[in-house]
Amino acid sequence: MSEVEKKEEETTTTTTVEKTEEKKEETSSFAPAAEIKEYAADVEPNVEYEATLKRDVVEVKTNEENEDTLFEIRAKLYRFDTDPSPQWKERGTGNVRFLEDKDSKRIRVVMRRDKTLKVCLNHHISPALSLGEMTGSDKSWVWKCPKDFSDEEKPEGVEELFAIRFATPENAGLFKTEFQKCQAKNEAIEKKTE
Amino acid sequence: MAEKEQIKLVLVGDGGVGKTTFVQRHLTGEFEPRYIPTLGVSVHPLIFYTNFGKIHFNVWDTAGQEKFGGLRDGYYIQGNCAIIMFDVTSRISYKNVPNWHSDLTRVCENIPIVLCGNKVDVKDRKVKPSQIVFHRRYNLSYYDVSAKSNYNFEKPFVWLTSKLLGNKAVTLVQQPTLKLPETVLDSNLMSLYEKEVADAAALPLPEDNDDL
Repeated sequence: MSEVEKKEEETTTTTTVEKTEEKKEETSSFAPAAEIKEYAADVEPNVEYEATLKRDVVEVKTNEENEDTLFEIRAKLYRFDTDPSPQWKERGTGNVRFLEDKDSKRIRVVMRRDKTLKVCLNHHISPALSLGEMTGSDKSWVWKCPKDFSDEEKPEGVEELFAIRFATPENAGLFKTEFQKCQAKNEAIEKKTE
Repeated sequence: MAEKEQIKLVLVGDGGVGKTTFVQRHLTGEFEPRYIPTLGVSVHPLIFYTNFGKIHFNVWDTAGQEKFGGLRDGYYIQGNCAIIMFDVTSRISYKNVPNWHSDLTRVCENIPIVLCGNKVDVKDRKVKPSQIVFHRRYNLSYYDVSAKSNYNFEKPFVWLTSKLLGNKAVTLVQQPTLKLPETVLDSNLMSLYEKEVADAAALPLPEDNDDL
């Protein structure tokens, strides 16, 4: 076995193994201890291919350069789907942030998925929105969003029904408190603009 | 103008290994636990933002079951890169990897290929790490992945991008956000949605994996 392992190491140019940080489920005292997950090492051979793409390094602007982060917290986002049957579907896990424009002072909520960094939530924190409770959950909120602008292919926005879940009820409470503070600020701006 | 280029990525592997679920996870964020066989091929645009700009893959998600194979090899024509996927809980799906590789490379010569072992979130994998050796023979990249836990699920695309760019150091960067229009929501409009919201709020969220 050690011989095989050595051989494996020799043929691997770049190897990384991510440590598993997943919380272990409790098991019955009569069941064997949960098997530790055994991940295979990443293998990335140093092989040259014809370069199909011709590119230089570029800076990708996020359109958040003129915004301040007022609040940030980790969460899991869901959207409500009725096809093939009414159900909640995962939309992303990552950090959800409240961003205030430095000029207009308007505040929006933005969330990106871990790893791929794709946008999964992007809309104003409008005073007309209402965070409702989920039946049977004290760490989630639900809200209707008439126009969400996550999808860059749909600049007109998409009607969505979202749910968001936090690690703890305390985090959920904090999110709502900060959300409502932002709503109050946006309401003041809207009234000033009238 | 260069950013208009689109990359054809061919995705192959036995039926049921999780090819479509893997693609769907990237597209919408959702995890589809049901197995719905792909008929022929489904082509999906998958876009990533990198330090080299926007990268646009067209993922050709092919049928894994022979009876739904359609044009089969015809889907591989002019593929720029590929992912061969097997299921670490299914020994037969790993044993069939050489067949997929052979079919693929007969049509696409000398393209970067990633071998992925999916479903590594499960407790009792059947294909152990030490048994996974096929990739070494042909200089394929290898990643354990999970479309359920998202373990390593972005890495095949990062590696393929780096090869297509010529071994450059590729990192994923934040997708830009759309600027929001200056609209104001009407409170009366929102009251129309109250029943819809209440009905949805009564349905439970999917299984809580305690992954926050």
